[in-house]
Amino acid sequence: MIHCLLIKITTNSRNLPVRSYHTLTAEELTFGRGAECTVHLPDPRIAMHHAVIKRMNDGQLHLVSINGELEVDEAIQQTIALTQGQQIMIGPYQLTIEAAPPDVDIAASLTLVQRLPDDFQDLKSRTHDPLPNSSSFKRKLSAWMAGLIAVIFLALPLAQNFIPQLRAAMTDLPFGFDRVWSPGQFSNAHLHFSSQCINCHQSPTSRVADKACIKCHTDTAPHVADKSLQVRAFKTARLSSGGMRCAQCHREHKAPYPLVRQDNGMCIKCHGNIKAVNPNTALPNIHDFDKDHPGFKLTFKTNAEKTQFDRIPQTDKARLVEKSGLKFPHSQHVGLVQGPGGMWDVHELACTSCHRQEGKELRFKQLSFKRDCQSCHAKELDIGPPDAKLHLPHGEEDSVFNALKVYAPKQLLEYSETLKSDDGCGYCHDIVAAKKGDKLPWRVAPVGINQDWFSKAHFNHASHRTQKCQSCHQVDHSDTSADVAMPDRKSCLLCHSGNNPKYKRITSSCMSCHDFHNSHAKLLTGEVNATEDAALDIVKAPQK
Amino acid sequence: MQRGNIFDYKNYLYFKLAVVMILLAFAAFMLFEPAVGHYGGSWIGYGLGVISAVMVLWMAWYGVRKRRYRSAGTTQGWLSAHIYLGTALTVIVTLHSGFHFGFNIHTLAYGLLLVVVVSGFFGNYTYMIYPRQMTENMGEDSLDGLLLRIAEADKLARQIALLMPDDINDIVTHACRSTFIGVGLLEQLRGFQPNCPSALAVQKLTTMGNHLSTDQRKLHRELYSIMVRRQSLVKRARQDLMYRSRLGFWLYFHVPFAVALLVAMTAHIIAVFFYW
Repeated sequence: MIHCLLIKITTNSRNLPVRSYHTLTAEELTFGRGAECTVHLPDPRIAMHHAVIKRMNDGQLHLVSINGELEVDEAIQQTIALTQGQQIMIGPYQLTIEAAPPDVDIAASLTLVQRLPDDFQDLKSRTHDPLPNSSSFKRKLSAWMAGLIAVIFLALPLAQNFIPQLRAAMTDLPFGFDRVWSPGQFSNAHLHFSSQCINCHQSPTSRVADKACIKCHTDTAPHVADKSLQVRAFKTARLSSGGMRCAQCHREHKAPYPLVRQDNGMCIKCHGNIKAVNPNTALPNIHDFDKDHPGFKLTFKTNAEKTQFDRIPQTDKARLVEKSGLKFPHSQHVGLVQGPGGMWDVHELACTSCHRQEGKELRFKQLSFKRDCQSCHAKELDIGPPDAKLHLPHGEEDSVFNALKVYAPKQLLEYSETLKSDDGCGYCHDIVAAKKGDKLPWRVAPVGINQDWFSKAHFNHASHRTQKCQSCHQVDHSDTSADVAMPDRKSCLLCHSGNNPKYKRITSSCMSCHDFHNSHAKLLTGEVNATEDAALDIVKAPQK
Repeated sequence: MQRGNIFDYKNYLYFKLAVVMILLAFAAFMLFEPAVGHYGGSWIGYGLGVISAVMVLWMAWYGVRKRRYRSAGTTQGWLSAHIYLGTALTVIVTLHSGFHFGFNIHTLAYGLLLVVVVSGFFGNYTYMIYPRQMTENMGEDSLDGLLLRIAEADKLARQIALLMPDDINDIVTHACRSTFIGVGLLEQLRGFQPNCPSALAVQKLTTMGNHLSTDQRKLHRELYSIMVRRQSLVKRARQDLMYRSRLGFWLYFHVPFAVALLVAMTAHIIAVFFYW
């Protein structure tokens, strides 16, 4: 039997401790939530049967844990020998062993030291407001993002521009800070120096000036041959920027779109009202190839040296006479023709049998007797009676007359007349009277087949290789080499339209046929060097 | 349908205005195509860009305007315009870009604008949907009222659990003391606590009443019904917090990204004219 004095310490309404004394006598003193326990502790943190005080074999009283935890100095213990002054935590209760009066075995006081918190306040502490600290979070996020963007996308690129040392230090890097400003991809041609914006954007807040372009493009020819007209024309072309710039046609940062503008807008700006640029011009106003483009003019060389040109409209049929110096009926050289072997030697001649293509644009080689005529036409002229025939090889008049002088000096005059006639050289060649002082009585007219009819435009035969030659050059019924078989604008318009596509017709802009920079190059005798001439407006500093 | 809200303000005045703006922008875009294709630096591009910049500044001014009591027009009207014109702005800015995108300040500004607008759409959606659901969820109650009722249930449940075996008592105590309502941003937005002790308690209590005495069984039934009621209260409290946090959460994006957009737009404009 254990006699125990249990002192329950509670607090009264004034928060002062109140001690109530109970004497308990039992075999074992049980502590727990259960009503059957000797010491009933109504607290949810106490087990139903938490602990027990019992006498051990040595007669000593021990507190032994059953289902709950016992703590001494914050250390959990299973069995605790009870000595005076000891303080043990049974759940939220503190059990203090006090000095026992003589008639009891043990005296202990019991205090609830860890009260259950108020349920509502406790729950409130575990309930948070919606989005705590949202204002400060938003402020911080705003500040960080704004700061980062300002530094990376504004401060660093500007610093690179305004601090020369920084710019110099970054020259060799693959990217500058200002690369983040680049609005689009570079064209392949300019990619190799695109790491530094300053290569083109040479002065801040100004548009890209032409001097940046002609640093590399030194041979760019002006559009107009007349220098003063070039200056005048391109200052009025755009009033707002004070002069036309390369970059107006050549738009960078637009890859994979082409670097050069493909539309007619810039061309029409002047050529749509060309008198406004040059009141004395003979050029008509042009807006659209389909609508108001004039008929073509063909370029004829007018002097023997082929250095002077005349451009004759195709409508002026009377003047469209080719003076090649040859007599060549195309009609007899197309299709099945007899060769030198007579009816047993029939050849089929195509255009390309004589007009040999060369180069990727399929231009044509100069015609040559040896290559193009000799396979059918005899390379020697036989002259004289059958028993004394002279074989005169195809060649210069001087050589022919020398041969005559040597082999038939007596018949020189007679033979000369024969050669002059259609039985001799005159069969194919035009014969011209000799000039004064010439030792020969006549000469063969110099052969000059026009190679370049459209000298202000470019024509690419390769792009038209799917077409038959005859669809543009109607030579089947041409009986004389004076005929000019160049296609006119109408025949182009069968397949091509102007600025806008038409049914089964290809859109064709100015640039499809014309070059801007080299539009006169083929007609110019002297070379023009644009870069050295400030008057050409190409090296002019840009105006704001 | 609720009348006189921000959407049909003045008989859809700003909706009509936005539609007209979009149509005009599209018409201009279609009619005046530059030869090199659309881009921000063409005349139509500059035009759309200037309009967009002014609109962005005006949209941002709404943030200032709504904090003022005295200003031109009603706040409702301003919000209606803010929503509809902000939507139109997105279209105009897209046309301004000419559909050219890259890794640069220009596309960054565009991306930020999209974030702002999309978060605005979400905000719009929340204000269309959640207030009604909040009312359905809470009825006449307030959050504090719910908490008070949960605390009462806690107290009652614990008193009954005192008479129950240790395992049941532990579960109930744990449920009462470890249930959190809306602790952590993710929990607030999702509206539930993973492994919620209250739900676990209800779940476990169903299987724990088998070896009880007759008296305890009666108490167990009572305890179970209290815990179920308590769980539904906890759920409602969490739902309420979820709605309230979702109503405010989109502003985490809308406001900071709008500030970032203003800076990026400034950088964009400076960049364009610095390297003209």
